[in-house]
Amino acid sequence: MLVSNIEPTPSPFELAKMSRFSAYLFLPACLVALAVSAPAMSDYALEIGFRLLLLITLAEAWNLLAGYGGLVSLGTASFVGIGAYALTGLMNKAGVPFYLAIPAAGLAAALLALTVSRAVFRLRGLYFTVGTLALAEALRMFMVNYSGFGGASGLFLSVDPPGLLDLFWIALAIFAVTSLAMTAATSSRFSILLRAVRDDEDAAAQIGVRPFRIKLIAFLVASFLMGMAGALQGLKVGAVEPYGMFGIQWTVNVLSIVIIGGQGLRAGPIVGALFVVLLSELLADYPALHLAITGLILIVVIRYAPKGLVGLFQRRQRALGGTQ
Amino acid sequence: MNSPLIVAEGLVKKYGGVVATDNVSLELGRGQVMGIIGPNGAGKSTLIGLLGGALTPSQGRIVFNGEDVTGLSASHRARLGIGRTYQIPRPFLDMTVRENLLAARFSLHPFEAGAKAHLACNAILARCGLADVADLNGRDMPLLRRKRLEVARALALEPKLLLLDEVGAGLVDSEVSELIELIKSLRHDVDGIIIIEHVLRVVRECCERLLVINFGKKFAEGATSEVMASDEVAAVYLGTAHSDKKPAQPIGKDSGGLGAAKPSHAGAVSGLVGATGVEAGAATQPILELRGVHAGYGQARVLNGIDLQVRPGQVVAILGTNGAGKTTLSHVISGTIRPTEGQILVDGIDVTGAPSHKFARLGLAQCMEGRRIFAPLTVEENLLLPARSVAAHDRAERLERVYTLFPDLKKMRSNGGTSMSGGQQQMLAIGRALMSRPRMVLFDEISLGLAPIMMDRLYEALFELRQAGLTMLIVEQDVERALELADDVHVMEHGHFALSGTAKAIREDPRLRHLYIGTAD
Repeated sequence: MLVSNIEPTPSPFELAKMSRFSAYLFLPACLVALAVSAPAMSDYALEIGFRLLLLITLAEAWNLLAGYGGLVSLGTASFVGIGAYALTGLMNKAGVPFYLAIPAAGLAAALLALTVSRAVFRLRGLYFTVGTLALAEALRMFMVNYSGFGGASGLFLSVDPPGLLDLFWIALAIFAVTSLAMTAATSSRFSILLRAVRDDEDAAAQIGVRPFRIKLIAFLVASFLMGMAGALQGLKVGAVEPYGMFGIQWTVNVLSIVIIGGQGLRAGPIVGALFVVLLSELLADYPALHLAITGLILIVVIRYAPKGLVGLFQRRQRALGGTQ
Repeated sequence: MNSPLIVAEGLVKKYGGVVATDNVSLELGRGQVMGIIGPNGAGKSTLIGLLGGALTPSQGRIVFNGEDVTGLSASHRARLGIGRTYQIPRPFLDMTVRENLLAARFSLHPFEAGAKAHLACNAILARCGLADVADLNGRDMPLLRRKRLEVARALALEPKLLLLDEVGAGLVDSEVSELIELIKSLRHDVDGIIIIEHVLRVVRECCERLLVINFGKKFAEGATSEVMASDEVAAVYLGTAHSDKKPAQPIGKDSGGLGAAKPSHAGAVSGLVGATGVEAGAATQPILELRGVHAGYGQARVLNGIDLQVRPGQVVAILGTNGAGKTTLSHVISGTIRPTEGQILVDGIDVTGAPSHKFARLGLAQCMEGRRIFAPLTVEENLLLPARSVAAHDRAERLERVYTLFPDLKKMRSNGGTSMSGGQQQMLAIGRALMSRPRMVLFDEISLGLAPIMMDRLYEALFELRQAGLTMLIVEQDVERALELADDVHVMEHGHFALSGTAKAIREDPRLRHLYIGTAD
């Protein structure tokens, strides 16, 4: 037989068991604990918790696209923005309660994804990335210049936004939905098809996978989640305007979280969001320094840990396992 | 049931003004195995692409299983039962080997029970000799495992028609035998197989009928034995590999310069060979010496104590089965892998651990496995790259000499580097290695995947270079050709030299056959 030059790797069954355990038991337990203890938390803790949950939701959605689907999108802001505007419109004009308006805003974002999918999926690799960036910028410019949605000054929510505690619970619920969707999408046979398309779209088609359909499903799920997150942000602020809701900072924040945490890894977004939020709190008084340090960390991570902090941890574990 | 499995009528594929496939028709009956042979660049892979659906024909019609599939996508055709492999394997790199197969399985049967799908994939993996690596990533597979994975993945699709594109390239005899056994056993599961192959044994033993393609057109068709015996086919494709004729007499026909007779250019070529140091009276000093070199990847030890000397003007060949460590050795010599133990000396000076470009600076050029042509550059730009710091007139002179050695390159000088056929790309890779006016060149598996007649051409060029006094280190699959060219030969097994000596002695050593052919398992 052939002699192969392959490093032994730890049994993936153990890793699979671990992640299954965390998905089915550990994570729900944490969520329940957080929900129950929320009334006892300080406003500061709730504020940070809210921001963390919102960013994790966005990062999870982006990780599904980029990490599992190879669709490196710079269009996050368009879906966040559409979600926020849809929520404001539904609540102001139609008097829809927020618990219905949030999923409806998610659907609005998914509808946008469906509309542009034919166009952006014609582009591959970097061209897709640039295409989605163009989409986000075009939408922002449209919102600034079109007076129908309040133009550059935006819209105000005519009803009072819920309190901080309620917002935290809603964020927790959206995070729960996200985790459920991500577990379904990443541990099912859909994940195998999605990763096949990511690794080689032509070869995937050659073995019967329908690349367009697979990419579209991932795009719709991710946009739905991003739209809900945007709606939640709109609900909290009580006002939406194009520079804030369609701003590139959404795109950049989410991208740095996933890259620092670990692309294509289930735990990547959570670890990345924890790291980024912690860092921004520690350096809250030095905004210029904060940006510079985040940039520096991104460069170091991309150079030395292409699979992020989680990837680094897994490599260490593997190395330790190998010497035994 | 008597209708043919696949019928292609008048297939034409044009790329701009270039006609890659020119009015090719074929028919494959149920239970048949057909071979497609032809020179590199004749349009064989294009034909597979057209049948598999990766390419849409400019004209013509394809009927599969009684259904017109001409307008259907590759994905649709795959689900109808056309499985293909890629000549250069394209596994899903960041998925395990088993997941590679499951992707095919789940696209075919989306709602099949998971356990059943796993069982089916495991059975295919076992059959293709991949069971032991089922949980490793595609990225960690060496080339030959990737080739097996290509076949396994196509089989996971439960195909009715299997299109195999050069799955035998780079295999040694015993592995070719395994492949032939596999193909023969597949006849019971698959309705029909079309094989593109340069390994003539596979063609001879597996195919009933052969289709010969040249310049995109059907050149000959018929029973395997008749086609193989045909003089016309020998002229465009088989070359001397098939007979006992000496390689010095290529058969000239009006085949576009493919086999055109060529005078020796030893004089012109010698200008490409750097100072060997022979005239300095240092003949005993080896250009390259390895002392007790060990190397590997992570936990896997691949080289276990290699001692090697290459003296000026010498041609040294390294033979061995796949996985014996030949490629690792050439990586060590070119400086891309650092040995974990032992020394590498150039002109007696220790250079262990020096970066690749340092080796190039010392006059050691290499012609890597897989050619590594820079695709965005033209042929001429590729050639000029290693000589960019040389004075203009000197550079032009070297270029002229490479063009004398390979006239094909001159004709295509402003073409893109990878727009040429495999053989021409290999010429370019050799020419590029020579442009730095090296003292020694490492040739790593230059005959891999080439038509027999193209191998003749390349080896003719190597003979000319030897005459010109170039020091060469050759890593090669083709035992016969290597023994003919080399002065000294080393046969590698399990990371060390199991047999070393002069080519003459090795040729007569019964252990060669034993080591190289007998104990591959």
